[in-house]
Amino acid sequence: MQYIRPTDGGRRSRLAFGFLSILIVFAALSAPVVAQDVVADTPADTTAVSHVPAPATSVVVDDYKYDFGDRLNLSWVPSIDDQIGERMVLGYIVYRSINGGEFKPLESLLPGASSFEDKDLHADSSYVYYVAAFSETDTVPSIHTQAHQPEREFIHFDLLWLFVIAALISFSVIYFIWMARAGKDLFVRKIAGLDAVDDAIGRATEMGRPILFIPGIQDMDDVQTIAGLTILGRVAKQIADYDTRIRMPVSRSLVMTAARETIKAAYQIAGRPDAYSDDMVNYVTDEQFGYVAAVDGIMVRERPATIFLLGAFFAESLILAETGNSVGAIQIAGTARPAQLPFFIAACDFTLIGEELFAASAYLSGEPKQLGSLKGQDVGKGIAMAVILIGVISVTLGKAFDIEIFNWIADALSTVFSKAGGS
Amino acid sequence: MFWEHFAVWVAAFLTLGIYSFLYKDNPWYKLCESIFVGISAGYWFVTLFWDNIYGKFWVGVFPPTHVNELGESVRTAQPDYWLLVGAVLGLLMLLRLVPKIGWLSRWSLAFIVGATAGFYLINYFSSNVMRQVQDTIMPLFGSGFDASAYVIIGNIVVAVGTFTGLIYFFFSKEHRGAFGFSAKVGIFFLMVTFGASFGYTVMSRMSLLIGRIDFLLSDWLGLIR
Amino acid sequence: MSTRIKEILVVALVLVFCAIIYIGKVSGWMKGVTFSPAVSMIVIILLAASLAVILVLTIRGRLVGRRTVFVYVGIAVALPLFMSISQYIPISPEVRTLHDGLEDLQDGSKVLVSFDYDPPSAPELQPMAESFFRYCMDRDFKIVIMGLWPQGPLQANQAMEKVLEDPKYAAKNYQYGVDWVNLGFQTGNEFVIQRMGTDFRSMFATDYSGANYETLPIVKNVKNFSNVDYVFNLSAGYPGTVEWVQVAVDRYGVKLGAGNTAVQAPQCYPYLRSGQLIGILGGMNGAAEFEKLTGHEAKGTKFMLSQSFSHMIVIAFIIIGNVAFFMGGRKKNLSV
Repeated sequence: MQYIRPTDGGRRSRLAFGFLSILIVFAALSAPVVAQDVVADTPADTTAVSHVPAPATSVVVDDYKYDFGDRLNLSWVPSIDDQIGERMVLGYIVYRSINGGEFKPLESLLPGASSFEDKDLHADSSYVYYVAAFSETDTVPSIHTQAHQPEREFIHFDLLWLFVIAALISFSVIYFIWMARAGKDLFVRKIAGLDAVDDAIGRATEMGRPILFIPGIQDMDDVQTIAGLTILGRVAKQIADYDTRIRMPVSRSLVMTAARETIKAAYQIAGRPDAYSDDMVNYVTDEQFGYVAAVDGIMVRERPATIFLLGAFFAESLILAETGNSVGAIQIAGTARPAQLPFFIAACDFTLIGEELFAASAYLSGEPKQLGSLKGQDVGKGIAMAVILIGVISVTLGKAFDIEIFNWIADALSTVFSKAGGS
Repeated sequence: MFWEHFAVWVAAFLTLGIYSFLYKDNPWYKLCESIFVGISAGYWFVTLFWDNIYGKFWVGVFPPTHVNELGESVRTAQPDYWLLVGAVLGLLMLLRLVPKIGWLSRWSLAFIVGATAGFYLINYFSSNVMRQVQDTIMPLFGSGFDASAYVIIGNIVVAVGTFTGLIYFFFSKEHRGAFGFSAKVGIFFLMVTFGASFGYTVMSRMSLLIGRIDFLLSDWLGLIR
Repeated sequence: MSTRIKEILVVALVLVFCAIIYIGKVSGWMKGVTFSPAVSMIVIILLAASLAVILVLTIRGRLVGRRTVFVYVGIAVALPLFMSISQYIPISPEVRTLHDGLEDLQDGSKVLVSFDYDPPSAPELQPMAESFFRYCMDRDFKIVIMGLWPQGPLQANQAMEKVLEDPKYAAKNYQYGVDWVNLGFQTGNEFVIQRMGTDFRSMFATDYSGANYETLPIVKNVKNFSNVDYVFNLSAGYPGTVEWVQVAVDRYGVKLGAGNTAVQAPQCYPYLRSGQLIGILGGMNGAAEFEKLTGHEAKGTKFMLSQSFSHMIVIAFIIIGNVAFFMGGRKKNLSV
């Protein structure tokens, strides 16, 4: 980048005069700062050498809000010789002194810069800065800032609204869990796909073919697997009632143990513990596509009448659903992985979309924790819906008719949620 | 030179073997699949061992030393003894193999689930909920809103789609009447989204096929100039 | 002769044929094939005509099997690679904003590129990586590479090698450690990004080749995200762009642009609208658009013709399939 120095001597004189005036005003205003340390190279010399640039002024150091006490913000008014077009200043150098020590150059900045963020500081040290504007031939320092220590804040108040809204939803979850435990009947609407479960099991019974249950490929720490196993409890009870066969290949050892327990309990509730066998559930492999190959083989060989695909699925979803479709099985699928839902919707007869999987699990189990979580999340969704509705109406009416109250509401909501979003 | 030719032929042989499944399941495909499964499992094992157990834990706790200009042996970094806590939790996970004390593995699992849930709560709530709700608050039309028809339609689709989508996933009220109609509109938007997503997937899969066919025709057979 | 023996014979014949072509390539008498525009048009017309025939057959109740669909897709992908016709590529707003974001950077800026994919996604993402590197070198950017996927840094090295094969970029004399560096892979998914927000060195004590972080001039003053000017994420899934947005953008305020596989791109569009992402290159299409904007038309552009042809075939078979469905032949006559 090429910087052209001004050649108009008259202009330089005016600039030097302007600079002197500013310096005098600034010195008067910031007497204590100047008192602490006077710059060695006094800018007054610039009157003698006309091409020396004016220094940066109003150099202020502030604490960086909401940090670990390791940052300071430095800001200044750029030199009056730093203007677009005829620029004499080629840049600025920030100097820093730690705990009254020697000033050392810290950073070189481009012309036009008016701030600098100093990072990696220590909260127990004090820092003094000055900014030197430099031209091709000269460097002119500003006056020094006051000594400043970075402060550490323990609460990030910019995220207050995030905390408030998250706390509201969390308390709703706890409240509804408590209500469910107290025996209060919490309403959850019926999930469409669940109606098909009974029919699908009946179909397998009539055809004399097995039911295949795939709980996804994740372990017991994934809530989708847990939801899948909860639905398995209900399915297994019906299977026990109808005396149908169930096959459940799994890809995790813990899931195998949990699934066996679930089916065993369902058979006991159905009054047929003797019909239960550990062979109903078998571990295959943790390897994703190895598992898929094995399950595909089972589908092709045993041709199940009904297949449940309920849990966390990844790239194997379409392969499994396609193979199940090709053997003519009724398929009921459900996952909360958005990327896999289109494949299930395309290749399966019924699909529990996203949160419907958890809702189905809560609905079937009636477990207080699941019901409470579901209801608490509904509170969150209610808040989101209300904010979107009020916000969109307000901003639209505000723009259309320029009514101040609507503009104010829209701005307030937008500010609250932008703060909550951490921006 | 020989190994370059050999490598290209092996890659071509495996690619064709996998694609032979499109005709039907066959021994060539099974061979290629077994090689793939075996190599990927081995690769992951080696990678995770050297990156986690050695690269992170061992090097973290016992940093390597080097000799400086004065001939002194100095550590390249300070030892991070917090990693020992992670190592203990990792060992507890292995206790699943001992049924009597297998319950101890739950502590590690509880730590993982708790820490991850806390981390995700903030991330998802902030990025995927709050920011998105804020972004949905936008004007749909109006004299003071200087926008093209394209932008206005886009805003309406986003606002209506988000609102009705939320209604569909609201489980505390039966889908009847106006609420039910809104839920139907919501599922319509969801289906359009899934369709678009499926379309993108087709594009993605085609890209992979193009990549392999380009390899076969260009790198292997040299048929493409 | 049994079916199995016939199949083995066909495979053997194909392999022998390929071996002859390969020998031709190695010995130099096989120079490759290119269709002239006229031949290309004839091929396109023949392809369209055959699809029309299939449609007529479907209407008459004779359905084609899935293998026919596979063959058509294969042809649609392979033949355009020989064609000498080009395709008009319009620039989408998300690619333009990504490019504009890069244009706003000063020459010599420091960019962090995270390679979060592996070879299966390379056909889509490698063209993006190569054109991004070319752009960076045009602007003298300093490039810091890392990966949250084990094979990501390998992909980065391949892309860099490919770019440096070009004499124009080789002449730039990009020095490893000074102008670019590969910090390698680190396990920990989004937690790696979180730690990088406070200290890069805690996650990458050494680079890909084992050199100490402090000895690399390019990262000497790079403590955390605030010391890089732009982050570009090439992602094929988890961990990827979603995690970079949630942690690096929303917690540390980095400027983030992303190149995604087409499967993942739809999940990232909401972040674009809300301003959390500067721009997205979605799939091969995004790669081609970026190549066009940066003036380096390469593999992304070359492959777009195949992409378009294959899409036309898919659309054609969706129509044919629906015709078959509505004519009631779905269950009765479907041959596999």
